[in-house]
Amino acid sequence: MIKLIKKSILYGFFLILALEILVRVFYLGKDNPTRYLDQFSVEKWEPNQHGFSITGNRKQNFSEYRINSSGFNSYREFSPSLNKTEIAIVGDSFIEGFHQDYYNSIGKKIENLLPNIEVYEYGYAGYDMADQLHLIYQYKEQFELVDHVVINLEFSTDLTRSEYGVIRDRLALESRTNKLLKKSKLLVYSKSIGVLDPIKRFVSGSIIFFKQLLNKSEINTNKTKAIALKKENKYIDNFKSLVSHYGYDKDRFVLLLDTKTTSPLFLSYLNRNNFEYLDFSKAFETSDTPTTLIYDKHWNNHGRSLIAHLITEYIRKK
Amino acid sequence: MLFNSIDYIVFLPLVFFIYWFFFNKKLQIQNIFLLAASYFFYGIWDWRFLLLILASTILDFFVGQLIYSSDTKGKKRKWLWCSVIFNIGLLGFFKYYNFFIDSWIDLASVFGYQLHNTWTLKVILPVGISFYTFQTMSYSFDIYYKKITPTKDFISFATFVSFFPQLVAGPIERASDLLPQILNKRTFRYDQAVSGLKLILWGFFKKLVIADSLAPIVDDIFTNYDNHSSTTLLIGVFFFSFQIYSDFSGYSDIAIGTAKLFGIELSSNFKFPYFSRNIAEFWRRWHISLSRWFRDYVYIPLGGSKDTLWASIRNVFIIFLISGFWHGANWTFIVWGSIHALLFLPLFVSGKNRKFLDASIADKTLFPSLQECAQVIITFFMVTFSWIFFRAESLTHAWGYLKLIFFNTKIHSYTHPLGYRMLDYFIVIIVFIIYEFCIRKNERNPFISKSRYVRFLCYTILLLAILLFYDDQIDRSFIYFQF
Repeated sequence: MIKLIKKSILYGFFLILALEILVRVFYLGKDNPTRYLDQFSVEKWEPNQHGFSITGNRKQNFSEYRINSSGFNSYREFSPSLNKTEIAIVGDSFIEGFHQDYYNSIGKKIENLLPNIEVYEYGYAGYDMADQLHLIYQYKEQFELVDHVVINLEFSTDLTRSEYGVIRDRLALESRTNKLLKKSKLLVYSKSIGVLDPIKRFVSGSIIFFKQLLNKSEINTNKTKAIALKKENKYIDNFKSLVSHYGYDKDRFVLLLDTKTTSPLFLSYLNRNNFEYLDFSKAFETSDTPTTLIYDKHWNNHGRSLIAHLITEYIRKK
Repeated sequence: MLFNSIDYIVFLPLVFFIYWFFFNKKLQIQNIFLLAASYFFYGIWDWRFLLLILASTILDFFVGQLIYSSDTKGKKRKWLWCSVIFNIGLLGFFKYYNFFIDSWIDLASVFGYQLHNTWTLKVILPVGISFYTFQTMSYSFDIYYKKITPTKDFISFATFVSFFPQLVAGPIERASDLLPQILNKRTFRYDQAVSGLKLILWGFFKKLVIADSLAPIVDDIFTNYDNHSSTTLLIGVFFFSFQIYSDFSGYSDIAIGTAKLFGIELSSNFKFPYFSRNIAEFWRRWHISLSRWFRDYVYIPLGGSKDTLWASIRNVFIIFLISGFWHGANWTFIVWGSIHALLFLPLFVSGKNRKFLDASIADKTLFPSLQECAQVIITFFMVTFSWIFFRAESLTHAWGYLKLIFFNTKIHSYTHPLGYRMLDYFIVIIVFIIYEFCIRKNERNPFISKSRYVRFLCYTILLLAILLFYDDQIDRSFIYFQF
């Protein structure tokens, strides 16, 4: 029996080692850039990093990223001036675009369509409206030189906060332990393909089970309509609060959103108060080919082209 | 609890260590623990169904003793019928009740009687009922045929009925094989445990890499069959052949491997059936424990092949029909069984059904002969086409599928429902066939190389393949659980 245990541990160790090597050889695990908090408490990527992002078990999507000196994934440096026309696109992972080659981003596509314009993509995974407006506020001098600012907004996830605060959980990903764990490409790969999800579910399920056992109370997950409405109003209030706190230039700023997934209440608020928005729902709905990646909800090349065309048309009309 | 779930990955080592470290001194306590673990394993699905297992266990335990103690053949037979009627009744109610009611209403409507369906019940099929009822019945049969004497140890008998590795999908063990292993003290054997772990790994590979990755494609093609061309429909049924084989044989390998960890040897359930050279050989290699059960407890008591030719043909037909019907309460399974009967009968009548009894394909050579290749391919195609009835939801569905294979002969490229590259699946199947061919002589030892480095490389490749094809989103239950 002891022999079996000893040998199992030994074999387990060597198997993990061999898999680690194979995952590295076939480049199955993605690279993880380092994040940090700058002097203005803006969370972004450490400047001047380079690597590859991978989605899916069998490299269904393999793309290159390049973090510029401003700390965002882009093929160009951001240097706005009065004698050029610039567009800034601010948003989350959809704008950050690790799932695309940095030289084929939405910004690059717009530049191809509008040759005399520079596009700056301020995308960062997990950014919400508070992050985005805080970024614009902190880098006011830079953003005041930009002619058009497009802000990506997902109503159900981006308006949960009424003011900006540093998200420690996200920064904790840069803790020493996490950095050490991320060195294992096998672990990174296993996590990204969902192998570790059943373990997480098992642990959280067990915790819930024991909590229920102790408290004898049921966890109510029902979302009634009243709660949903209350939530919508709360999000609208958060939007108002963020706008009044960090400022919002209605002449230059435009929201990029999907009206199909946005609250009608919020849309009517935007209309009433002259907040401009670009709706990409129609372009996506009428598309014959898929607009998102395999194994990932992010926009694929076609989806990004549709977004680029939408922004281009808007700029042309302006 | 599913084998391919995190629950099982926690459950198995825990039970294994407690079993060998804490309860290895006394057999009685070890069996009590094994029984408790088995009931826990089964009760995770639905604890109420434990009552059915318990009822079946209690009945057969006492029936076995009554058969043994009865002094006349007539009394023995009466008690045997008691066991058969109870177990078949259990099965009949939970599995076939609604089917018979629906079929009766359909039949009446053919003769112009419109009956209102008020008798069907919302009955949930208890997992594994077809397997454990057959296993308990084998105990009564074996006592009746004087192959064993009844045990007086109820705990050991209950452990035999509900031994968790094979409780829900077999192999269906005969009491004469499994019960003595439970009744006698087991000692830990390193070689046996290692061999068990190897089988578990091989089973997981078959289930996770082949069966689970083909499942979305097969589901998509069979569900939307009327939108697909014949080439796609052929891919659908070809993939289903490998899905069902890998799913079920993968389960059996994990079950046999797990049992080995507890010092128990289960019988083989699959012996590379797709390398069979005729249908008779296929049935000696596919779901062996069920075929053997029907042979020993139905076919031979009916007279087997010792009777007149017509009686023998009748017996063969009965066996295939029952075997088909055992799989599910649907006419599709009966047709599937009939097709196999029709394919088997010419061999039976010409006396060729006993050909290829022991030797596997290319038994003494490195490669199969052209004749063998042709035989294997023809048998595979026959089996594969019959799977259409097995997989289809109804006879109309199956006929529609078959019709389109022959009449919708356009060539269309098929795209994976989730957009994955189709070539990957063909490559995996081809590599799998080649590997199975290499290990064709011993189904209990999937890693035949004598070099530990080559074996290590095989383990690594299998684990990498599991990662490459792992999908957390798909339904990962085993196909045979529904039977």
